[in-house]
Amino acid sequence: MGLDYQLVLWNKHKKTYDKIIVISMLLYIALFAVVTVIFNSETSIETLVIRAFGSLAIVMLHIILVIGPLSRLSSKFLPILYNRRHLGVSMFIAALTHGGFSIFQFHALGDVNPFYSLFTSNMDYNSLTNFPFQVLGFFALLILFTIASTSHDFFLKNLSPILWKRLHMLVYLAYALIIAHVFLGAFQQETSPFTIGFLLIGFVVIISLHIITAFKEGKIDSVKAERDTEGWLKVCEINEIEEDRAKIFTVNNERIAVFKYEGKLSAVHNVCKHQGGPLGEGKIIDGCITCPWHGYQYLPHNGQSPPPFTEKVATYELKLTESIVYINPAAFEEGTEVEPVII
Amino acid sequence: MNSRLRKVHKYSWLLLLIIIPLIMFFSMKNLMIFESTNKTDINLNFSRNIPDRDFENDLIKVAFYPKNIEIILKTTLKNPSSTIYTVDDNNKKQKVIGQLTTAGIYFFDINDIPKNIALYDDIKDVLITKTNF
Repeated sequence: MGLDYQLVLWNKHKKTYDKIIVISMLLYIALFAVVTVIFNSETSIETLVIRAFGSLAIVMLHIILVIGPLSRLSSKFLPILYNRRHLGVSMFIAALTHGGFSIFQFHALGDVNPFYSLFTSNMDYNSLTNFPFQVLGFFALLILFTIASTSHDFFLKNLSPILWKRLHMLVYLAYALIIAHVFLGAFQQETSPFTIGFLLIGFVVIISLHIITAFKEGKIDSVKAERDTEGWLKVCEINEIEEDRAKIFTVNNERIAVFKYEGKLSAVHNVCKHQGGPLGEGKIIDGCITCPWHGYQYLPHNGQSPPPFTEKVATYELKLTESIVYINPAAFEEGTEVEPVII
Repeated sequence: MNSRLRKVHKYSWLLLLIIIPLIMFFSMKNLMIFESTNKTDINLNFSRNIPDRDFENDLIKVAFYPKNIEIILKTTLKNPSSTIYTVDDNNKKQKVIGQLTTAGIYFFDINDIPKNIALYDDIKDVLITKTNF
């Protein structure tokens, strides 16, 4: 959490992850170069760069696409999710290097504009074996540029979290374009069971994780709660909620986090104002609900970020009858103070 | 995330579950995955069927179209420099068209169809190959 916008909000963890990213990328490039020199020594330096950075970007994109569902399935992956933005920007740099060298090598050596050449040198859209695959890569790169250049809290705040998230979901379209770019391009020229196998397995892993997660989350959203005579909804037994943790409960397709802390109960809307993280999967730290994704904090009794921060989430009224927790499904305005239920 | 975004996620991936395997299938159905490892050879064909003129030797395949030249370089060149020129009847360099490096398909835009083209190594000052029309 930061009050003003800085290019990067560095902390010890981010520095460690960034070092891991940079070292891994350099190791990959070095290993790729050594293998190429050993097995295909006639490869020119431009081709080596194009292939090394292109394959690196694809490997990184696969990692990025599995982080989201993995962190939904297991909280062990949350620290990686915390640093996913930097991985995304690094992946864009690798993809840009690939794209830049490709445009230079294949389109900048003639006497026409390289971008004009990119779109007009091959117009054979009816052919699968000679499809203008570079155009697909170009559009994927444009999407990655848009995402990388808006990967900052300034744009998140000014575009609104919903629009920002939708914009960043274009990475799925970029993934499809990149798969088509590789299968209709590189694989038509050099067909290797190893590289094709990698992308096939990668696709199966990515799609399986996303669909398993989607159905698991859908099941949570569709749970119907019991109502008491006053229209309050039964949440759970009090002892089902761990101390300083929450029970997530769904009301009219919206998730609510019911927190137990210091002998009290409070309920807030489950969606963090920062990037839509699940507040109910976080915990109470220093008296504040702390989002598991990026550490944004809210006070449990009024859903407000502690001053000087200004983020607010909706709050809900609770009651405790014997040992059963009930919730009033009507949300209060964001940031409304609600007296916690004393246990 | 709210439930609407979760639904958008879900339907996006269900759509990709259909689209991506189709792309993979149609792009691979004609590939000899376990037989061919490098297609940078004579098997490469021109992208368009009927060039105005075409030429082939051990190193290159060239097709002249009204506004483009398509050159298929069959193997990666070892020359440090390889520039394509239009040449006159006496093999004298006229105009630079572009450069070739690794094996593959190259397209260059032209205003007029030249009589012949030649590939020169300008550093060593040697003719690598040329068309003969």
